[in-house]
Amino acid sequence: MTASLRHLLLVSLLAAACRAAPPSAVPPGAAAPSPFPGAAPAPQPPLVGAAIDSTCGVIAGTPGRRDTVDVALADSIDPAHAPVPHNEAERLVFSQLYETLVRLDCAGRVLPGLAQSWETGDRWTFTLREDARFWDGAPVTARDVAAAWRARDSSLAQTVTILGDRELSVRAPAAPVQPFADPALAVTKRAPGGDWPIGTGDHWVSQIDAAGILWAVPVRRARLPVFRVETVPAVRMRDALDQGADLMITSDPTVLEYADSRPGYVDAPLDWTRMYALLVPAGGERGEPGLGDVHVESLRDAVHLDARPADEAGSAFWFADLKACSFPAVRDAAPAAGQRRRVVYDQADRNAADLAARIVGLGVLGKQGVASGLAPAAFAVALRSGGDAAYVLPIRRHVFDVCRAALELPSWSWSGTIVPLLDVRPHAVVRRGLPPLTVDWSGTPRFTRR
Amino acid sequence: MSFRTRILIGFAAVVLVPLAVFGLRVRAEMASRLTAEYQRRVATLAAVIRADLARGAVDIARRLAALSAAIADDNRFRQAALEGGDRRYLLDYAGAAMRSAGLSLLQIQDEQGRIVSSGHFRNEYDRLEPALPRLVAASQSGIALVRVRTAEAPLLAIARVDSVRLGTKRFTVVGGLAVDSAFLVGLSPDSELSVSVVLPGDSVAQPGTEAAVVSEVSLPFVLETDSAATLRPARIVVSHSLASLVALRHGVDLAFLAAVVLAGAIALLLGSWMSLRISRPLTALARKTAEIDVDRLDVAFESDRADEIGALTRLLAAMTERLRAGAARLREAERRIAIGDLARQVNHDIKNGLTPIRNVFRHFTETAATEPDRLGTVFRERQGTIETSIAYLESLAGNYARLYPAPAREPCDVRRVIRETMGRLGATGTPELRTDLAEDLPLVCTDQLVLRRILENLVGNAMDSLEGRPGTVTISAVRGAPANGGPSVRITVADTGKGMTRPELDRAFEGFYSTKPGGTGLGLSIVRRLVLDANGVLRVETEPGAGSRFIVELPGAGS
Repeated sequence: MTASLRHLLLVSLLAAACRAAPPSAVPPGAAAPSPFPGAAPAPQPPLVGAAIDSTCGVIAGTPGRRDTVDVALADSIDPAHAPVPHNEAERLVFSQLYETLVRLDCAGRVLPGLAQSWETGDRWTFTLREDARFWDGAPVTARDVAAAWRARDSSLAQTVTILGDRELSVRAPAAPVQPFADPALAVTKRAPGGDWPIGTGDHWVSQIDAAGILWAVPVRRARLPVFRVETVPAVRMRDALDQGADLMITSDPTVLEYADSRPGYVDAPLDWTRMYALLVPAGGERGEPGLGDVHVESLRDAVHLDARPADEAGSAFWFADLKACSFPAVRDAAPAAGQRRRVVYDQADRNAADLAARIVGLGVLGKQGVASGLAPAAFAVALRSGGDAAYVLPIRRHVFDVCRAALELPSWSWSGTIVPLLDVRPHAVVRRGLPPLTVDWSGTPRFTRR
Repeated sequence: MSFRTRILIGFAAVVLVPLAVFGLRVRAEMASRLTAEYQRRVATLAAVIRADLARGAVDIARRLAALSAAIADDNRFRQAALEGGDRRYLLDYAGAAMRSAGLSLLQIQDEQGRIVSSGHFRNEYDRLEPALPRLVAASQSGIALVRVRTAEAPLLAIARVDSVRLGTKRFTVVGGLAVDSAFLVGLSPDSELSVSVVLPGDSVAQPGTEAAVVSEVSLPFVLETDSAATLRPARIVVSHSLASLVALRHGVDLAFLAAVVLAGAIALLLGSWMSLRISRPLTALARKTAEIDVDRLDVAFESDRADEIGALTRLLAAMTERLRAGAARLREAERRIAIGDLARQVNHDIKNGLTPIRNVFRHFTETAATEPDRLGTVFRERQGTIETSIAYLESLAGNYARLYPAPAREPCDVRRVIRETMGRLGATGTPELRTDLAEDLPLVCTDQLVLRRILENLVGNAMDSLEGRPGTVTISAVRGAPANGGPSVRITVADTGKGMTRPELDRAFEGFYSTKPGGTGLGLSIVRRLVLDANGVLRVETEPGAGSRFIVELPGAGS
């Protein structure tokens, strides 16, 4: 990495740190543990969750009751993904529907979730909230937690000991506490005959009507609003604003520019939740000059969204060292690596296309290199095979569990090269007068309870 | 080679040779004219493409001039380009301008050749490509075929250059229209005419002499990534596929082949039919002629044809008739000789029979003269000799009585004679005797006794052929074919007996040949002679195991 690049990254890092989590916002004695493995030294989480303060507020909001909040989202929502979000829309909706034992606020402080308290040590002991209930009214028990985990992390579930109806202990995780806030470990149970798993969140999905509009209705707390969530094509996002949407999550600069011109709306950038990276199979183009050292500062202008050069956030990228995960050695994972001199991307992702084009424009693959957009399904197949020179794709910037997140990447990438390109972030366009909106550690926005 | 084969070959040659000459001539003429037409169309299209390129150059120049004017008027662009203002606006500018101007290629470079904004490849900004506008501008016609990079694939376009000055800096604008498959298809008025671009270094398959008709339009070519940075010639190749000609030839060949096959088949069928018409009666005549023999002159040659074969048939019939008459005369002569021989034989036999009688009577005379008292004794002693001689003579008489006396030729009613004969023979009861007699039979000219003997012999033989087994003997009489200008009667005696083999049939009419135990072998011989004496015809149809049919045709009384 060049000196100028290091300097730029350092400046970006400082700017991001100042914006996302100002030092003054972190309470004494509860400094944010680094979400990344290997980051030094991680203090233990407080026994009882910290109170919400204004540090994580995106929109201050105004007091008052809203019966319904109209949400317009560009991404589609698939019940089959619940409770693990695959895009920004699912991140917003699932966070209202499902709960984990604990939560992390934007500064990394631990907040109570389903668990009202916990004790640390060789084993962690969690005590569930007394009023924790599933949507169907059934109390949430320690056995329900173990059963939910068994479906998504059997190794962790095997370490669970049921101590009582509301008490369980589990082996201490490798990372300080983040795994217990991972949506993948949200407590759910199967809904007989239903698409949506039954969760414990404040809302439940009452219906998806004929127009494809999802209605998330409060379970018990009457003060919470009903969410009316509509998936809107990108070209119609401005129309949604004109029609009075209360909340919109978008990265489209045209929409944001239009929202800025509307007096009733506030444009609030969310956290840098995603990162575009270049995945290069081992033995492919990595050895050629340029590909492993892309001039990331020149990439920012290549995309049409709020982006910055990829920032390690003060430590190494989470995927920098996956040895601790003890993944099996992958042999011949990419037998055709480098045979096709093309940078491949998902053609549904315009930003990936822009970045791939820029990489080709920089001549990283030589004069014969091309960018090739594939349909999502074809891209997934090509990514698994690793037969191309490189792949551009977005990955999560914050992960709760490094090893679990690494499984979302193709296996050949564990031994290949992952070149961080750009951090990107969506914006929330919020109608004035809505309740306060905060973001958690993963950048997921939530309306706070009053 | 048979006559029939020669007719077939002749027919085939007469039909196929002119057809082949005609087909080959049509094929060659068609290929020549179509090829000339293709060459004319290709040359015309090449001229049209040259004119289109000239018009395209003017059109691109006009659009670039408008774009340059728009850039000069755009303060936001000016600020971004000169003072580093809104970089994204600058980068997106060429794309929007290119789409608005209806171009496929647009690249804006600064004075150093650095790409400031690119419409066809937005993210190639900051790359140095000074050679592209320089080479395009250096082309004589002002336009060049360029191949530039895009993110996805190289873009081939017809491009030209313009420039715009902003402040103290001059910016070069390269714009063009894509030369893609749609562009080339648009140049082709139909599917048979194809237009392709051959770039330097492209390997071009050399068309065969019949692959296509080709014409070319030359154009300077610039390769953006070419390190040599020189203008090189490219070609727009117009070709007319000969596929339709080949298909047409193929169709003509098929049609010609079908015509040859059809004509050949018709010729063969016609030849075969004609040869059969000619050879079949000749073969039949040859077969009948081969049957003619002195003893087989009853072969009938009949034809109602008016052609040469009919004449030949009638000639053979006349010849057979003459042979039959000659044979009859010969038999008459033989008969007369035989009668003479018979008379001598009778004379001899009677003498032989009378000699002992005369000797006995001479003995009686001597005894009566010399020993009259022993006459009785001598008589008794010689009585046996006399009786033996008399028996011998009676036997002779019986035998000779079977010989036919000269028949009387008088009108005879066939129906009546048949009924009388069948009445006598049918008294025995077995086998079953049937008669089938036509009502309008003419009288025949023969002795009733002769006719009776003929019938008795034939019916007797038919009954004997049954050999005691159940069966039927049918005697029928119908009016026969006219013979010698008069009517005739056909009498058929048919049985269901054992029939005759070929060797038996060959010897059936020989005298003293019989297959019956105790038979004299004279019956059929006598019948045959009696029929011939009556100027009739006797034929036999027989099949071993199935029976025999004896057919007697007798001339009518007026013949």
